[in-house]
Amino acid sequence: MDKSDLVVLDRVDKSFVTRHFLQRDEESNERYFYRKRRVHAAKRIAFAVRRGEIFGLLGPNGAGKTTTVKMVSGLVRPDRGVVYVDGLDVERKRLQTLRRVGVVLEGTRTSIWPLTPLENLMYYGNLKNVKGRVLRDRARELLCFIGLKEKMNIQVRRLSRGEKQKLAICIALIADPPVILLDEPTTGLDVQSSRSIKDKIIEMTRGQGKSILVTTHDMNVAQELCDRIGILDKGELVACKPTEELLDLFSDHSYEFHLDRLPDAGAFAGIIGVHEVSPVLFDKEEPVLLVRVDADRAVRSQALYATISRLHELGYALHSVNERQQTLENVFLHLTGGGSARPERPSQGGSRP
Amino acid sequence: MMSFLLVVKAELVRTWIVMRRYWFRTVTGMAISYGMLIMFIIGFVNRPESVDVPANFADAGKATNWALGFIIGMFAFGVVGMFSQGLQTMAQSGQLEQLCMSPHGLVTNFMARTVVGSISNILSSAVLLWLISRTFHDTLHATDENFLPMLILLTLTFANVLGFGFMVGGLVLVFKQTGQIAIMIRLALFALAIAATDKIAEWNVVARIVAHIMPITDAAICLKYVLIQGQKIDGRFCSVFWHPSGAFWFLLGNCLFWTLFGILCFRVMENWSRSKGTLGAY
Repeated sequence: MDKSDLVVLDRVDKSFVTRHFLQRDEESNERYFYRKRRVHAAKRIAFAVRRGEIFGLLGPNGAGKTTTVKMVSGLVRPDRGVVYVDGLDVERKRLQTLRRVGVVLEGTRTSIWPLTPLENLMYYGNLKNVKGRVLRDRARELLCFIGLKEKMNIQVRRLSRGEKQKLAICIALIADPPVILLDEPTTGLDVQSSRSIKDKIIEMTRGQGKSILVTTHDMNVAQELCDRIGILDKGELVACKPTEELLDLFSDHSYEFHLDRLPDAGAFAGIIGVHEVSPVLFDKEEPVLLVRVDADRAVRSQALYATISRLHELGYALHSVNERQQTLENVFLHLTGGGSARPERPSQGGSRP
Repeated sequence: MMSFLLVVKAELVRTWIVMRRYWFRTVTGMAISYGMLIMFIIGFVNRPESVDVPANFADAGKATNWALGFIIGMFAFGVVGMFSQGLQTMAQSGQLEQLCMSPHGLVTNFMARTVVGSISNILSSAVLLWLISRTFHDTLHATDENFLPMLILLTLTFANVLGFGFMVGGLVLVFKQTGQIAIMIRLALFALAIAATDKIAEWNVVARIVAHIMPITDAAICLKYVLIQGQKIDGRFCSVFWHPSGAFWFLLGNCLFWTLFGILCFRVMENWSRSKGTLGAY
């Protein structure tokens, strides 16, 4: 275990028994009052979250994301394997590890609605063993940080859903834990609230050095926030890589050259093969040249320069160059067997040779 | 201990704020429930054929016995309810997950929560006692000399019911639906508190054993004894602690058993609930 790892899951297994009432066996045509079925929520999951890192857990419904978060927070006991938080075994030192973890679970109300945000923080602060002036100062500081300063004395029931979610994050942060677990933090929020929460999450890691384990269905959230991503499917960790690397792994490296007129196919024959450029494609409707380079970064760079030079020689005006970027959604669908990893949309950022 | 006091403080502040903020609901709720209770009690004791009590309250002891049982039963009903229905409600609202993740531990949190929740229960019981004593021509021996025995008995009763509540709460942690069965258990406690008198010695062996195991029987017998007869009769000292039926010693034994067994059971169930993945969730 690396010293920089704040959360470590070491080959963790967890399965649950579910009961289905009044089922009928199709073969024997017999009715059973109930049938037990074992569902694997985690199969030898192993990953680590480093200090100051945002680690995203993605997966379809029932993949085991929430169970994983609950195992880290001590709410669920693993069948096998060990979970460490800040070097402490969660099973053996559960109460000590709870001091080091702040949790926002999905869909829970968490906060007490008849109280104000400030009163909520004072209450939960005491439950987390924070007291006195330290608690008062920290509660006000957090409400300012999250943007609820103006509403600190309004009852929670009068707050919007986004504000309640922000308050839930403040509650998780009240004891100043080094590890924050966020289960679907932006689900059901409008664009502004979601943006605001994402900004705060980034600020917590970059500014305060906290480690964050976030589960989400929202691929944009994962792509924007996470330094590394783990993809869960039926309890198995099918991928665990830095976000860029994961996207790169499944990218087909296609580039769109937007020109002033339809390109001539024959004119580009010279660059095919020379720079490992695989078929140069043309869109017959639009003045767009599509180039795909299945090679490493250095060769790709040379191929792109060669294409641009050739376009320049032939007198084409080059309006823009876009990489047909792979989205996390495609990667996710590919890995979880939900579809192919075909590129679907160009990136918004302009040229990237 | 510091953890416990810190949580008690937090719970007191929270309860006080909610009661103060929703003062109209608090006051009307109390008025309605007390009004109904008093009407129920008075209505019951005014029907002599049902309890063999003369209508003029000449034998106020029996009526007081019944009314005291009612109050003790209500108390037990409320305390156990904090574990069963309280747990269910908290699980549904999501607050239970936060309590489960408190570094003080779930037992400390629940103990503090129940102690604070019981304060209003104790206060309302005191108000009812006072009303009963006025209704039955000051037949209650709520005198200074009975204060200490009452305090000891009430503490033991509370610990007894708390331990039992922990056991019920543990079951609810694992099997959320048992909260509904717990209502029946609470009603049984309520009925037992009313029925419990020295006469249980005349019951058959099995019924007697079951009655003594239940946390409220001996507590009710002792409390009724002190409140109705006092520590002295005709100037003769006849303390509840040396009660001929040994109810006090049963209460003491019960208290130790339920407190230890209840908390142990709660811890075991908490761990089981974690294994099942149902801790904090409904």
